[in-house]
Amino acid sequence: MDLEQTVVAAETLLKPFAVGAPSREASRLDVVIRRADLPAAVKALVDARWGYLAAITGLDHPWPKPKPGAKPAEPPAEPVGPVEDRLEALYQFVNGALVATLRVSVTYHDARVPSICSIIPSATLYERELYEMFGIIVEGTPDTGRLLLPDDWPDNTYPLRKSFKGLNSAV
Amino acid sequence: MDTQQEPRKTFVVPIGPQHPALKEPGHFEITVDGEIVTAATVRLGYVHRGIEKGVEQQNWTQAMYMLERICGICSHVHATAYALGVEALAGVQAPPRAQAIRVLVAELERVHSHLLWLGVAAHEGGFDTLFMYSWRDREMIMDVLEGLTGNRVNYSCNVLGGVKFDVDDTHADAIRRAIDFLEPRTHHYLKVVTTDETLIGRTRNVGTMTSLEAETLGTVGPTARASGVPRDIRVDAPYAAYPDFPVKTITATAGDLEAKFVVRIQELFESYRVIREILDKLPAGDLAVRMKPRIPPGETVSRVEAPRGELFYFLKSAGGLNPDRVKVRTPSLCNWGSVLATAPGHKLADVPMLIAGIDPCFSCNDRLVTVRRRSTAETWTWAKLRQYGIEYYR
Repeated sequence: MDLEQTVVAAETLLKPFAVGAPSREASRLDVVIRRADLPAAVKALVDARWGYLAAITGLDHPWPKPKPGAKPAEPPAEPVGPVEDRLEALYQFVNGALVATLRVSVTYHDARVPSICSIIPSATLYERELYEMFGIIVEGTPDTGRLLLPDDWPDNTYPLRKSFKGLNSAV
Repeated sequence: MDTQQEPRKTFVVPIGPQHPALKEPGHFEITVDGEIVTAATVRLGYVHRGIEKGVEQQNWTQAMYMLERICGICSHVHATAYALGVEALAGVQAPPRAQAIRVLVAELERVHSHLLWLGVAAHEGGFDTLFMYSWRDREMIMDVLEGLTGNRVNYSCNVLGGVKFDVDDTHADAIRRAIDFLEPRTHHYLKVVTTDETLIGRTRNVGTMTSLEAETLGTVGPTARASGVPRDIRVDAPYAAYPDFPVKTITATAGDLEAKFVVRIQELFESYRVIREILDKLPAGDLAVRMKPRIPPGETVSRVEAPRGELFYFLKSAGGLNPDRVKVRTPSLCNWGSVLATAPGHKLADVPMLIAGIDPCFSCNDRLVTVRRRSTAETWTWAKLRQYGIEYYR
């Protein structure tokens, strides 16, 4: 299957779940989906045997710092923009040369996503890493023990969030 | 568990983090019934160093040197994946000669890594003679790499926009001599691993994984290819100079440990062929293009084929002097699932072989933080760490 066919196949499979138009760039296809649709979208790809899950990447988009001298902007109670003041989980599927990314955004106060381990059992390591590093709770993931961080690592401290500046200041 | 009868007692054998079987720390809990494994779990993180967080505080160039130190064995592929990603974000392309040298060093690195694995796997199987011989031969490649780059590991071959050094005729001759020596040796090793009764007893039909299992477990690299899943980034999405110097995907169908030996050894021949071809047809031209210190905002994915399989980099720039996010997903992490899934049903004595079978690299999948007692906690600044390094090697 060549690249264009792979793209069309992925677009067709993910169309029912896409929020807005997918963005396309050389060998990448990014599809924004709703959190509730995540298992269904993953299942659609897996049932069609479209590629494999290569990684789950966490991203932190904090509310931007005010410019020096400017009045600090009050973060709104509900997130507004598509990118700011949110955590994002990127589910990256790979098929040949194409990387299809399912993008799920969650707020800090409701940072949870459904587990996809019932569909892809090997996702467990990626989900545990996502939780440990970003504090995105993966609901229904089979194992929630520490995977990468030390046993005496403080709770509710997520090192890859932008607000984490080192253990001494965080504790 | 059968509730009708007396419940069978299970016994958990903890292995590690420090253990004689492997040189790197990992903790396994192997549940056994007698001698037969019924379940296996893994606990990683003993060499997690926080590199993903660390690079967010470095500039784009410094980050490359830090990322290269994720792994001591396949350091060059990390720097290559990163450099290719940053170049894609900046919209520049390294010159053809630089791309060819990147591939040349990557293939030399694959040869040294596969020979290293051959020795480790033979050692786990109790075949120390093969271990000694393959590591002796590996020194040829280490010497070549040292002559070429100045280092046995962490070659620092890449710069953003190209490579740092050229390959002249003296280097090329040294590499050719090493390959000419290694090729017949490799034929011999292929014969040994497929005919030696004792080793076959440890490898044939052990840890068998069907191609469907390999696919659903998300395995990559030689682990997948030994089960007949043709996943190779050099072929699927050629990068650097691989479009000009194509490689052939080596697969096997058996899916057992023997197939993993055969696939890796046959990949060595393919590497030898590509190395010779690059030396013969090295494109002329510059070694690097200049790059601005600020990288335009954007996101990109960079994938390369490390000796252990697909290495996946996700890079995000906010337009500044340092990376906003670097996500590294190394092949070992993908392949753990296959060990945990195939271990049940095997003898406990097979477990070290199964673990070695995927060629695990703990430093790769760990990457964080100095573990320290809370009472003696001390944060080292970058300047202090750097000073410590300078003093240490003075």
